[in-house]
Amino acid sequence: MSDILLAMISPIVFAGTIRIATPLIIGAVGGCFTNRAGTFIIAYECFMLTSAFFATWGSYMTGSAIGGSLIGIIACIVMGIIFGMLVFHYKADALIISIALNFGAWAITTLLLQSIFGARGAFISEKIISYDQIHLPFLDGLPFITTVFNDKIILVYLSYVIMFIGYIVMYKTTFGLRVRGVGINPTAAETAGVNLLKYKWVTLLIMSVLTGLAGSYIPLSGVSMFTENMTSGRGFLCLAAVLVGQGNPIKAGLIALLFAYTDALFLTLTSFELPTQLLSTMPYFAVIIVLLVNGIKEHKMLARVS
Amino acid sequence: MKRSLKINDEIKNSVIKYIAAFLAVIVIGSMLILLQGENPFNAFREIYKGALGTKISFGSSLRYAMPCILVGIAASIAFKAGIFNMGVEGQLYFGALVAAVVGYSYKFPPIIHIFLCLLAAGLAGLMYAFFPAILKLFFNVSELITTLMLNFMAKLLTEYITMWWIGHGVSNLGSNAIATPKIYDSAVLPNLIKGTSASYGIIIAVLIALVVAIFYKYTIKGYELKQVGENLKFAKIGGVNAKSSFVSIFLLSGFIAGISGGVEVLGSYFRFTAQFASNMGWDGIMIAFIANKNPIAIVLVSFLWGALKAGSLNMERLTSLNKLTVNILLMLFVLFVSVDYKVLFKEIQSIFKKGSVGG
Repeated sequence: MSDILLAMISPIVFAGTIRIATPLIIGAVGGCFTNRAGTFIIAYECFMLTSAFFATWGSYMTGSAIGGSLIGIIACIVMGIIFGMLVFHYKADALIISIALNFGAWAITTLLLQSIFGARGAFISEKIISYDQIHLPFLDGLPFITTVFNDKIILVYLSYVIMFIGYIVMYKTTFGLRVRGVGINPTAAETAGVNLLKYKWVTLLIMSVLTGLAGSYIPLSGVSMFTENMTSGRGFLCLAAVLVGQGNPIKAGLIALLFAYTDALFLTLTSFELPTQLLSTMPYFAVIIVLLVNGIKEHKMLARVS
Repeated sequence: MKRSLKINDEIKNSVIKYIAAFLAVIVIGSMLILLQGENPFNAFREIYKGALGTKISFGSSLRYAMPCILVGIAASIAFKAGIFNMGVEGQLYFGALVAAVVGYSYKFPPIIHIFLCLLAAGLAGLMYAFFPAILKLFFNVSELITTLMLNFMAKLLTEYITMWWIGHGVSNLGSNAIATPKIYDSAVLPNLIKGTSASYGIIIAVLIALVVAIFYKYTIKGYELKQVGENLKFAKIGGVNAKSSFVSIFLLSGFIAGISGGVEVLGSYFRFTAQFASNMGWDGIMIAFIANKNPIAIVLVSFLWGALKAGSLNMERLTSLNKLTVNILLMLFVLFVSVDYKVLFKEIQSIFKKGSVGG
């Protein structure tokens, strides 16, 4: 038992957390903008999977990880534009479009995998260039921190920068104020002269770019491969982080870190011969627990007010 | 007089919409198939053959339509009342597992056994829906996200139970499949058409759809539930207890989702296999939306859905195409059907006007 407790706070678990959290944080910050602008979109899975595939392809073709990410982001923007055209312009139901896109993205990426690379299920190649790890020499002396934070790829560090920039944009700029206004009361915002459609589109594009970046992290973070349905529910964890964090980029980022921690525990605890299936439920269970705690808190506050 | 005209107009619009969507899917689908280096006529012919060509293929179309009807009904009940029950898949998994357990561990006379299995499956689905319903009711936790998470958990938990409680850590079907033992013959749903995979499950599914349709159309309770979804304030003023309606709809949706899992086990698989149904829950939501949440339309759409599934398997066998091509066609169909064509028509008209002015 004490072994397990020790393993739970071991640097390896935290290093795993940082690694797993990156796409969740980046995707969640992107989702905060659409969430705050009142766009009901749950197609995170579609965006991230599309981007993961095209990032693999881009990296394979251009021979650079950054090229891969850029192509992934472009593919994601195309998906975002499809969503925006259908939902904002042709008044389609956002929920059903999201579900159809999630449903289709799996098929599209798998078919492309087959027709471009001729591979079924998975594609591994040395030509898929991952991001290089960055060594920070000034962390060398600190034993715990160096295992957790050192020798990571650029996107890992970037994700925290994105989180803070997201917060500043959302809460300290006119743009952020307008986005929040559009979400809270569209009619009032429109009367105040805010172009609703413009803000919906801009936030959707922000989300496309960020989920694209998040999706490109998955194949290019060192594994250099693409597998069928590679995101496997990460998009939904992003969505959960956004909803739990109520559209606040820092809150959503921290929640994403918590989910990543429970996921990282899985990798460590499997060595203790605990049933893997139960351990893999932990991130999803954590989402429900966090929601429940939040709910109880609000429930108490409401009770006190009344 | 005017009213009937308006309704006719609406029907006309939606028929045009479905035909337009269908044609668009055929055109884009043909291009997709051409891109993959295959003849679209060949592909569509194989889909048709696999879906309706022979007695056996018609049977397998019915077999795939069977769960689709039930998940579609389960989703439509919830969405009609404005409840985002994304958890159809999770409820289906627990229904399937419990049906299999009741099916293989007890012996009953044939028809009673089937009834008990389905009842247990429904109750399992209901229990699994109970949890998010309570969270929403007491703590105002969005059911959208809890049911989504519970889906992922259901897949893992049922696998865990099958492997560690039933299989005792080892699988009895070779190395890959984690499954329960086969159910007794008394629990197996008999074949509807001899020599095919269509079972009496399809009859059960259609009956449930009919019951739901009658319930919404002719009972006071059904009317109340519909009001809750359409206009909550109005319903409350009219004396509907919104809270109890909310819970009963959520549980009913879970119950039917559970039965769909049970029917799958009793009619098609005869045992619970871990991770057996991928995407069934999403199928249900899409079917419910295409059918505009109308139970009878759900049955029709489900037949189409089942036929395409059966056809896609045949197509994959006889051409070089992957069966996932059909998934893309289904996605496109959903996208096209959910578009508001009035906006599109107006746009096309304005383009023509501009063109005529310019010319």
